[in-house]
Amino acid sequence: MNDTPASGTQPTVAEKVFAFVDERVGLKLLAAKMLNESVPGGSRWAYVFGSILLFIFIMQAVTGVLLMFYYVPTADHAYASTQYILHDVDYGWFLLSYHFWGSSAMVLCVFAHMSQVFLWGAYKKPRELIWLVGLALFALVMGFGFTGYLLPWDQRAYWATTVGVEIMDKMPVLGDFLARFLKGGATPGQMTLSRFFVIHVMVLPAALIALAGLHLFLFRCAGPAGPFRGTPSELKAKTDYFFPRQIWKDVVGMAVVFACISAMAFWEPVVLLDEATPDPGDYHPEPEWYFLFIFQHLRLKMFSGEFGQFLGSMGLPGLLGIMLVLLPFFDRDPERNIFKRPLALIGWVVLTASILLFTVSAIINRDFLD
Amino acid sequence: MQPQLKSKVRCADQEIVGEVSKVIMDPLSHEVSHLVVSMNGRGERQVPMGAVQAITHDVVQLRSSASEILRMPPFAREEYVTLHEVEIPGLERHVHVTPGEVLVPYPELERNVKRRTFFANLTYVTGLFIGLPLVFPVLKFLMKPMYASLDNRWLKIGNIGKVKTDDVGVQFQYKRKVKEAYMPEAEIEKNTWIVKATSSVLEKVYQEKDMEFRDAAGRPIWTNKKDMPYLAFSGKCPHLGCAYKWRKHKVLGQVFLCPCHLSIYDASGKVLDGPAPRPLDLLPIQVSANGDVQIIDMEFKAGTKSQTRIV
Repeated sequence: MNDTPASGTQPTVAEKVFAFVDERVGLKLLAAKMLNESVPGGSRWAYVFGSILLFIFIMQAVTGVLLMFYYVPTADHAYASTQYILHDVDYGWFLLSYHFWGSSAMVLCVFAHMSQVFLWGAYKKPRELIWLVGLALFALVMGFGFTGYLLPWDQRAYWATTVGVEIMDKMPVLGDFLARFLKGGATPGQMTLSRFFVIHVMVLPAALIALAGLHLFLFRCAGPAGPFRGTPSELKAKTDYFFPRQIWKDVVGMAVVFACISAMAFWEPVVLLDEATPDPGDYHPEPEWYFLFIFQHLRLKMFSGEFGQFLGSMGLPGLLGIMLVLLPFFDRDPERNIFKRPLALIGWVVLTASILLFTVSAIINRDFLD
Repeated sequence: MQPQLKSKVRCADQEIVGEVSKVIMDPLSHEVSHLVVSMNGRGERQVPMGAVQAITHDVVQLRSSASEILRMPPFAREEYVTLHEVEIPGLERHVHVTPGEVLVPYPELERNVKRRTFFANLTYVTGLFIGLPLVFPVLKFLMKPMYASLDNRWLKIGNIGKVKTDDVGVQFQYKRKVKEAYMPEAEIEKNTWIVKATSSVLEKVYQEKDMEFRDAAGRPIWTNKKDMPYLAFSGKCPHLGCAYKWRKHKVLGQVFLCPCHLSIYDASGKVLDGPAPRPLDLLPIQVSANGDVQIIDMEFKAGTKSQTRIV
């Protein structure tokens, strides 16, 4: 630590302020503990997604708070206030579109982050708890996407919610209660909008901040896993600190993501459909693209009938969730090299390929509907 | 046993060469990797743990001789940082290299507290005392709008003159007034599908029996007669609640098709293809002498084999 000013020169005001705070809270120690974290095997581009997710969340919070300056969560004004943001408020179209595309970026980066952790075997002992909290965060991100989608109160919003809640209704025992609880009644209406709004802007952010904090705390307890290859002496030789090389990579990643979201917001700004109503007219209901694969696989003949539908909408996704939760407790083999874990590699490829396949086929299917 | 700071360092030739002045940890294994030995005024040497034969409470016994130690490279401080300047998870928990205990006074009042467990449990009980009485009110608070009573009023939706052809789905769009909680009364747009059915279709639907509708208490509300040719289907797909359309299908001809998950029904509402678990839901319908069509606007839970009315 060589932050002390050279002897003989007068400390500047900034240095005095720093010294004042440092004396009271131990800033230097804190900064050292935050930044000088050893990254075994050195910094990598593959490690940027966690920081990027934090960045996206902060941007979603900032744009979300800004949108709330004009948005009104009532069935008779939600649509009008969203249109007002889009068409009348200066740069409203950009902030709303940024928020909209930010959610897509969030889902993509969550997928990348989870894939990286999975392929690197970083969920294994002693990092099981980080993985579990990460899964809960993944559920929260999906919850954000689902609840936020209703808020503009246009046809797209209304139907995605109608179908989404019906899917939840298929949960055994609790399904009917949960669906009514979310909708605040039998059909989507003002109560649904109020509930989704408060969940989207209060409940989920609070839960996400708490769990993300826990995620980082647990990560700091266990430390970075490092690469899956290399002897201890090789790893030690390449070890560097979180600052500056990893932070540099993270910052570049954030800038790229920011540029991409901004570009999407600029070239593909949000356009609302007609105001929500139980009569869709010519609109063909469809969820946001990251839910398309679930939507498409429910079209399969094998998921027909009451039981098939339960299987498709609750059974299989639930099973996948349970498998992900149990993963670090069943996979006790300390081997982390993905090329020596054929089952894990095949599992990841199959899941990713089928998500892609179903998403693409849902998009192709659109043409056959008109 | 980990080496103690200030321990004397004795060589193979029984000579005390100095004392342990620093300890170097390995960041990956969390073990002590080197000792730094202050050589009685002849500088500091960095001694690998491999050279240590035994560690007792205040003496570190080395395998090497004093001259061998002196030939080792001098300790280079600039190649190391202290634990305070770096974050290596769990490392501090492994370090037991202390020159002795660091102490603070134990407060008088804390010395003979009995029933610590009792006080700990008391906090949980107090928490429950505050939390438990809130569970029911909060749940009821949130559940207020969840179960509304069903509405069995007849609703005029248009004139039957619109239906020109037999066994063809014709959409009737209508407005329904809703008054939700504190909101001003509003109109929502809904739709229902009317089919003027031929006798073969009617038979498929009613199977020679009149269709009776009952309210939640089981009292009859209305009966659709089996020979009345007009069928009204709820506009909600029984698969997952989307709105379906009357469409031309390449193979199946004119059908009801739901664009969401591609459930297909014939003019009698029977499932021809797709994932739907039951036929389209029939509604109570009346057609007056002047052609006014009235229905009771019901909705049923989607995705179940049996009908459960929710609106």
